[in-house]
Amino acid sequence: MNHDAIVIKESDNVATALHDLPYRQQASVGIGDETITVMLVEDIELGHKLAIRKISRGQNIIKYGEIIGRATGHIVKSTHTHVQNIESLRGRGDMS
Amino acid sequence: MSFLGYIRPDGSVGTRNHVLVIPQGLISKSISDFVVGTKTIQTVDHGSGRTADDRERVARVLIGLGLNPNVDSVVVHAASPGAGYPELAAERLADEIAASGKRVEVVDPVKEGGIYRAIAKGCQLARMMVYEASKLRREEVGDEHLCVGVKCGYSDTTSGIAGNPAVGYLFDKIVNAGGTTFFGETTEIIGAEQAMAKRAVNPEVATALLDAVAHREYLAKSTGLDIRTINPIPANIKAGLSSLEEKSLGAVYKAGTTPLQGVLQYAERPKGKGLYFVDNWMGAYSIFVGYAAAGANLVMFQLGGGGMAGRDLLEGTPSVVTPFMWCTANPQTYEMTGDNIDFYSGTVIEGKEDPEQAGERLYQTVIDIASGTLSRNETMAYNEPIDLYLEGPRF
Repeated sequence: MNHDAIVIKESDNVATALHDLPYRQQASVGIGDETITVMLVEDIELGHKLAIRKISRGQNIIKYGEIIGRATGHIVKSTHTHVQNIESLRGRGDMS
Repeated sequence: MSFLGYIRPDGSVGTRNHVLVIPQGLISKSISDFVVGTKTIQTVDHGSGRTADDRERVARVLIGLGLNPNVDSVVVHAASPGAGYPELAAERLADEIAASGKRVEVVDPVKEGGIYRAIAKGCQLARMMVYEASKLRREEVGDEHLCVGVKCGYSDTTSGIAGNPAVGYLFDKIVNAGGTTFFGETTEIIGAEQAMAKRAVNPEVATALLDAVAHREYLAKSTGLDIRTINPIPANIKAGLSSLEEKSLGAVYKAGTTPLQGVLQYAERPKGKGLYFVDNWMGAYSIFVGYAAAGANLVMFQLGGGGMAGRDLLEGTPSVVTPFMWCTANPQTYEMTGDNIDFYSGTVIEGKEDPEQAGERLYQTVIDIASGTLSRNETMAYNEPIDLYLEGPRF
């Protein structure tokens, strides 16, 4: 994992930071045997996620090749993807 | 593929050689304080005022700890508030443990002439038990005698990428050698249950797993809250986990890849070997003692820790009779609290190892600790009190 961030399954639309990644730097993102480079538009802390492509409001967030939630707003590529723009779809007593 | 363990009369193999004093309370604590080499359980969950199901759970924990292969012999006292119920009568606890061939002695304050005399009698018995137990020697045994339980906690995304996959490698290795592994935390497979159900050995096990998850999600929804206000916990979210589904999908990596043999209730002993899911909750002060009561001879806490600050000392998390290991894959956690950590797999995050290599190192660490090397936690005298996982109403 000699990358700045890693994508776990090829169908994922988010990557996970492997160390603290600073704003305005380029980050190498490993996807299987391939590497892509993204320009960071904000700080991403170790363990936090960034979008590796544009994600529209209402679209599923995919990690481990599975749905981990849904976008609550439009998510621009390389932005921090977390509770401010993802909602969980399970155990939602507030929605039943 | 072997370790050095203590062979018990029923053929099970211990990684430790304790004398156990049960149930909780003044008599047990006094005996345990006085006699070296003894262990006891400290909890306020004595069963009084509880439903029959919950009393049976308390009994399962106490009997299970006595049957645990890390226990040589047992003193049972008859002065617990729950002892008047048939499930928790001292004679019942003693008889079920003694069926394994272990020495079990009952100390009854009514027969002895009071609590002081019961403590004295218990100390005399426990001292001789410890002396006799010390004559037993470790012998080389196969890995089929390993029974390991895991909980992941203070999880962060290093848990799903590195820490839990290393544990998953260990679990596969133990199961493939004929051993037994436990994982659980029903809330924390919500979102990953369909993939896990496909690994069930038969449709009944798959249904049991899906039913356990459906029941837990129903309870979550019945609170009227977004479960994210409860779980993931604030430390998980601070460290980058965004939803329960993300946490669950990372969490199930610790279960490895072998077939799911069954779904167990809290403190229920498995009927066979292999990988088992335990329908329990996330609480660290409940979960490990439940694994120990189900027969685990080693337990581990796979720690994320990205969301916890200032924790250079990790408090003991009780399992009463099993060695307890801390593992982490988070470089920042390891830097903060490394002297508490038995196994570090942040090497995977740092690009120095793959999860399989880390898992192989974890296996070697487990063999060392199973064979007698102390876990870091075992060098501390303090453990948090135990909270038994009881579900019924109190009256």
